[in-house]
Amino acid sequence: MAQILADRRDIDFVLHEQLKVESLAKHPRFSEFNRKAVDMIISEARNLAVKEILPTQVDGDRIGVHFDNGKVTVPESFHKAWKAIKDGEWLAMIEDPEWGGQGMPRLVASVAASYLMSANFAFMMYAGLTHGAGELIESFGTDKQKKLFLKKMFSGEWTGTMLLTEPEAGSDVGALTTSAKPNGDGTYSITGNKIFVSGGEHDMAPNIIHPVLARIEGAPAGTAGISLFIVPKIWVNDDGSLGEPNDAVCTGIEEKMGIHGSTTASIALGSKGKCRGLLLGEANKGMRAMFLLMNNARLMVGDQALSCASASYMHSLNYARTRVQGRNLSQMMARNAPAVPIIQHPDVRRMLMIMKIYVESLRSLSAYVAFCFDGIETSADPEEKARLQGIIDFLIPIQKAYTSERAFDVCSLGVQVYGGYGYIREYPVEQLLRDCRITSIYEGTNGIQAMDLFARKLGQNGGRPIIDLGDEIRRAIGAAADVERTAGMAEKMEQVLLRLEEVARHMGMTAMYGNLMTAAAHAHPFLEVCGDVVVGWMLMWRARVAAEALAAGSKEKDAVYYEGQLKNAEFYTQIMLPVTMGRIEAILSGSSVAVDIPEDAFGGK
Amino acid sequence: MEILVCVKRVPDSAENEISVGPGGADIRREDLVYSVNEWDNYAVEEAIQIVERVGGNVTVVSVGDTEAEEIVRREMAMGANQGLLATDAAFTGSDGLGIATILEAVARKTKYDLILTGAQADDGAAQVGGMLGALLDWPYASLVNLIKVEGDKALRIGREIEGGSQEISDIELPCVLSIQTGINEPRYVGIRGIRKVASVEIPVLDGGALGLPPETVGAAGARVRRVDYFVPQTGAGAEMLTGSTEEVAGKLVDLLKAKGGIK
Repeated sequence: MAQILADRRDIDFVLHEQLKVESLAKHPRFSEFNRKAVDMIISEARNLAVKEILPTQVDGDRIGVHFDNGKVTVPESFHKAWKAIKDGEWLAMIEDPEWGGQGMPRLVASVAASYLMSANFAFMMYAGLTHGAGELIESFGTDKQKKLFLKKMFSGEWTGTMLLTEPEAGSDVGALTTSAKPNGDGTYSITGNKIFVSGGEHDMAPNIIHPVLARIEGAPAGTAGISLFIVPKIWVNDDGSLGEPNDAVCTGIEEKMGIHGSTTASIALGSKGKCRGLLLGEANKGMRAMFLLMNNARLMVGDQALSCASASYMHSLNYARTRVQGRNLSQMMARNAPAVPIIQHPDVRRMLMIMKIYVESLRSLSAYVAFCFDGIETSADPEEKARLQGIIDFLIPIQKAYTSERAFDVCSLGVQVYGGYGYIREYPVEQLLRDCRITSIYEGTNGIQAMDLFARKLGQNGGRPIIDLGDEIRRAIGAAADVERTAGMAEKMEQVLLRLEEVARHMGMTAMYGNLMTAAAHAHPFLEVCGDVVVGWMLMWRARVAAEALAAGSKEKDAVYYEGQLKNAEFYTQIMLPVTMGRIEAILSGSSVAVDIPEDAFGGK
Repeated sequence: MEILVCVKRVPDSAENEISVGPGGADIRREDLVYSVNEWDNYAVEEAIQIVERVGGNVTVVSVGDTEAEEIVRREMAMGANQGLLATDAAFTGSDGLGIATILEAVARKTKYDLILTGAQADDGAAQVGGMLGALLDWPYASLVNLIKVEGDKALRIGREIEGGSQEISDIELPCVLSIQTGINEPRYVGIRGIRKVASVEIPVLDGGALGLPPETVGAAGARVRRVDYFVPQTGAGAEMLTGSTEEVAGKLVDLLKAKGGIK
């Protein structure tokens, strides 16, 4: 059987050859994580993914979660897999060992998690959300709150969620109406209704800890008056024991297009007037705290999408190699020519090439962002920390939105490679396509990501992040220009980068001189071209490393892999970058048609 | 109880495409992902559970090239207390008896009460456990799927026999047992275990350290030589049964009855 979740050779390339993860072990913070440890962690994540998580994938989709009278049950197989996740301590890989974390570099954790998510990301959401909620308490909680909740959450004994959305406050979080009233004993009475709560109710853990956004009575309207509260499903006594149910009740779950194994709950808080919460962090600073969680969650969503794409590519590749159908085109006139595996057909190769390019380059992007976080951890230089944080901030909406859209394209191509069978449930690519679709929507729709990039990140610190990112890309261009087989791509990348910088200035000027609506209508295309350039950067970087390894002499199996990297770069330069140039032209045109068209002219009335 | 568990690094059949290599006498190994042989993993789990119950130590040993170290370390992360790697250029090309001879030398260096092997390896011939027992002149049982410790001197063991039945025997210690899958549910390796063993030095034993003359092991000492692997030619005469699962099952039963397969 061929690899079905991710290409291990490619993962090892990113870790060891592109980013040189071992360099992190030189720092005392990560000294435990030498090459042997890293390789074992990745191998065991893969082992767990293939043997324990993957068997839950179809159960999650077909059986799904069931709601009955306030309780939600998950498929039986989830319980065993959840125990394996807890036993192996895969929930809090990067957190402080003092609170039950493993202190791992984020790069290693992110790659390990990608294996687990490729096996069933709907299931892994329970772990991801628990981790995120725990991170909030670790960052903003009092010592007492940390002692009460953290170890139980980081061990997976209890799970976590995030309660933001309300029926009338979705993308506009500032419109929320959930209220908090001080009780005088340090607790608050919470009242409101939250929807779209992932992991909001299930039967895998005896308690669920909900971080809840609510407005303390009398606080300002909008986001400036939002505070964050810890609301346990079952109240936790001061000695850590479980108390009474806390009037945070699941009133229903959504029937969704995909990720059927993940609960999407509606939660009624305080419908009997007995829901208590603990203020987490400062009053009215809830949104600031929540952004920490949301930024990490956005990166995770990009990884979820990528995990679907990776699995879809592996399945499609295996299928194309074994599905025999039609004669080779070069022998189409020979009636007796044998039927061949469909990987020999040019259009199938074209599709696989696009899938390979996006899966591999976006894997590199995800790993690079994680590596920047590790760079912050291991650097003592405040300027370097700020530089890396700026690059991360700029790349977050790209990893979330661009990755989710390209991943969906990859999953769609996966269905196409399978032909009619791809549209049938029996084959895994169908579920991967449905599951992947949510990633463009939740954690801030991709439209919101585009606005975040254009309106917030582009001008952040006087435009420093995009300048620093440009410098990084130029360094990679310089290195690739010195290598014969990547010099051509380096030249093209320099041209595209110059145009991207021009388009960034154009976007800023358009917005500044009164055409905000027009600029905003180009925000998504702008994010797309930024993503295209980032993908080009990663492919060029990979190809340069591969070319150097080939020149130094490689084993036969490595040589084939490296040649694949060079082919990625050639295909992207020749076939895909010209499209990016066209997209840039379209943005520079300054067209305001989408804004100008009268609403009635959309028709349909 | 001091337990030695013999483990082998093999291509992982869960996620690999296995094909015959150009020479015909081996599979293509270039692109394979390797892991610990599945049966051996059950043996390590059983050893860990025995030690959890009655105390003692679990040592894992692998005979292989230097890359076999990764599975020794992996089984230590799972819970084995010590690891050993028996490696030497002279060991290359060993047949089953050669591997058993190397393991015998390892076993004689320390006093073990019990030696476990997997019942077989994914790429092996299910012979090393029995040969090792014979070389040590210890009692041996194969296909063991139950172990109960009965004092210091003996074990009560169950063996899987035909028809899904189990045979129960008492066996004196020290002994060699080859372990069948299903005897337990091997634990997964967690991150904490990996962190614990990542920097541990694993002792390496070569032919000199084991007192093995080169001519007794490896290709030089092998008395069995693999000549060929081949994939059977696709032949004619196969009948594909179609229909619902019930229909196919019914047709299969009819065919088996008609051809004398079942009565």
